[in-house]
Amino acid sequence: MRIRLNGSMISVAIAAAVVGAAISASVTQSAGQASRPGQVAGRPNLSGIWQANNEAHWDVQAHAARAGAVTQPGVYPLEYARVAAAPVVALGAAGGVPASLGVVEGDGEIPYTPEALAIKKENAEHWIDRDPELKCYLPGIPRAMYMPYPFEITQSTNKIHMAYAFATTARTIHLDQVDPPPTDTWMGHSVGRWEGDTLVVDVTSFNDKTWFDRAGNFHSDGLHLVERFTLATPDVIQYEVTIEDPKVFARSWRMAMPLYRRMEPNMQLLEYRCTEFAEEFLYGHVRKEQLVKRWEGETMIVDITRKVPPGDKFYEWFRK
Amino acid sequence: MRTRLLTVVGVAVVIAAVAVFARLARTDVAGQSPAPAPQAGPASLPAEAATAAEAGETPWGDPDLQGLWSYDLEVPLQRPARYGNREFFTDEERAALDKERAEILGESDRRYSPGTEQDVGGAYNAAIFTTHKPVGRRTSLIVDPPDGKIPPLTPEAQKKRAEIRAFQVALLQATDVCKNNLPGCSGGKYGPPSPRRAEAPPHYLTVAAAGGPGGGGGIINRSDNPEDRNLGERCMAAVLPDFGGNTGFFLQIIQSPGAVSIFYDTGQGQGWQRVIPVTANPHLPSHVRQWWGNSRGRWDGKTLVVDVTNFSPKTYFQGSYENLHLVERWTRLDTNTIEYAVTIEDPTTWTRPWTVKQEYNKQNDYANRHYKEPRCHEGNYGMVGLLAGARAEERAFADGRGPDPATKCTAGCGGFAAGFGDSGEDSNPLTR
Repeated sequence: MRIRLNGSMISVAIAAAVVGAAISASVTQSAGQASRPGQVAGRPNLSGIWQANNEAHWDVQAHAARAGAVTQPGVYPLEYARVAAAPVVALGAAGGVPASLGVVEGDGEIPYTPEALAIKKENAEHWIDRDPELKCYLPGIPRAMYMPYPFEITQSTNKIHMAYAFATTARTIHLDQVDPPPTDTWMGHSVGRWEGDTLVVDVTSFNDKTWFDRAGNFHSDGLHLVERFTLATPDVIQYEVTIEDPKVFARSWRMAMPLYRRMEPNMQLLEYRCTEFAEEFLYGHVRKEQLVKRWEGETMIVDITRKVPPGDKFYEWFRK
Repeated sequence: MRTRLLTVVGVAVVIAAVAVFARLARTDVAGQSPAPAPQAGPASLPAEAATAAEAGETPWGDPDLQGLWSYDLEVPLQRPARYGNREFFTDEERAALDKERAEILGESDRRYSPGTEQDVGGAYNAAIFTTHKPVGRRTSLIVDPPDGKIPPLTPEAQKKRAEIRAFQVALLQATDVCKNNLPGCSGGKYGPPSPRRAEAPPHYLTVAAAGGPGGGGGIINRSDNPEDRNLGERCMAAVLPDFGGNTGFFLQIIQSPGAVSIFYDTGQGQGWQRVIPVTANPHLPSHVRQWWGNSRGRWDGKTLVVDVTNFSPKTYFQGSYENLHLVERWTRLDTNTIEYAVTIEDPTTWTRPWTVKQEYNKQNDYANRHYKEPRCHEGNYGMVGLLAGARAEERAFADGRGPDPATKCTAGCGGFAAGFGDSGEDSNPLTR
């Protein structure tokens, strides 16, 4: 616990030092995006375009670098000597997974129940088949907060809109009282309140279809989040989220990370309408003539098998 | 459910305490289902914010367009010629049209010849996509030109449309649609399967729904690839400008100093959203193109003026593609009404600009009748089923177990127009 807390505090401190000049100059200006007031109706103004700058989208837990997002046994029968598997081998060094200290507080491990841990491991082995990100499905919360795409906050008095570049998805944080959604959702139902200068958001009504990352970390429809957004400097939000899901985790756990303002001049949220990009992945096999073929001669042959293993526990669990 | 009960109790307390805000909170629209409680929003704001809201301004002094808005009237895009340059119906005309429409739509046993492709195609659509929205005040959404019609296409646009139409007809020519000379075959004639079935379409196919004869967007009778299917089936139908289609829509507008976000809950889980920066910064570089273009806003008095350029060649709006240029004007007329006016321009497509006007109605925030989760794609089993079905038909034909797929019609066959007939007295009186 202490190690991770110190880590985030140090990074916040560094960020604060870096932008110290900006703070002292003015709290109502920030470089890059258009100038904005420091407050909206008496609350810190979180509006603007933000992005996490870490490896949590690969794996929220602490991990060493690995050869590929999916790997297979190499020449040694050793876990640490696996090689990139077929689906990513064509990407070479660009297909590997960078190392990270992770964003999970405490010992960096998610407190899965033993049964859920087995599903998580299977998820990781079958990443290509199972990760909803590859299909361009709605990413869910908290995953959308630290995917490698920018997102934009439009903060008003009774509603806050969060627009995510990935899949051009969105959520509203209701600061006023509203009816809950009639059914479970991918992005959750977000109800916020201000605790001093911190925006606290309670998120419920999830389905069981979204993940936390590309490493198979998952949850059930019992997921309940409490997010905390605190403006550490005009250009850094300290983001913390408490995760509770008794069907999957033995106890609640927390993630924490800074979110950084995108400072580029004329920065704007651009479309990543991946529905179109996922069509080959999802429907390529039912084309009249396949577009992606085995390569020949000097050309690399990439065989990708996307078969669900018979009796697969995740799919059985998923269908429940 | 426990939470829900507490919420309602909480709101009831708020109502009692802030009766003074009743006027502000009365945002229900006649005809909507009653909400359990009025808006609690203004009551929870600081005093100065509430005062600003009353003046139609945000606490930071911008015109306030915020809230949940709906468009739930039936107004044809183009004005039927019989109304000439008249912009509005009389109340009597509206009542008569509503009555006539209800009578046509109420004939639930109206069917095409049982067993025909038109009949099978209508089995689902005629029931699901039937529209019972009341006729609006306007005789057309188009207010300029004064005749309420889309201006003539340029020769360049006509050529493009004709090329797409020729391809559509070629793919239909061996089917019953052409054999029986149905409206879907307009411009073509019956013949053997066309060699063009093996060709790529002449232009990127985009149309979101059945265009009908001369529709131009390009729904085609083929399922070789997902790209053969229209954008609606691919879960990418959402388009700007969006006038609500058969189902109407909800908009949620949220503002902050320097930005206006709009979520469009539209078209069967195909909603989308945009964040409009209020800025004098330039548009994107001209080679960076987007499905929904690139929006730049500014305040002109009480009106949000948005300039939209940089559309993609895959964007399709009434014959216009990447050269589409919109100037939108969003104005809050009163507590319950936003006027939306958009001037649509593309010199490569139309001989002059044209303008559409709509009025949106404020909805109750508490009832939250908004679906900010477009999950068409997540549930798109239809696409796999459709393509797999086409492959099965090809195998059956190859094995001598079924007809040539080229002789079957699966798209562009006619027989469906939101519950109305294709022509004659069963057709939609607003568009015939």
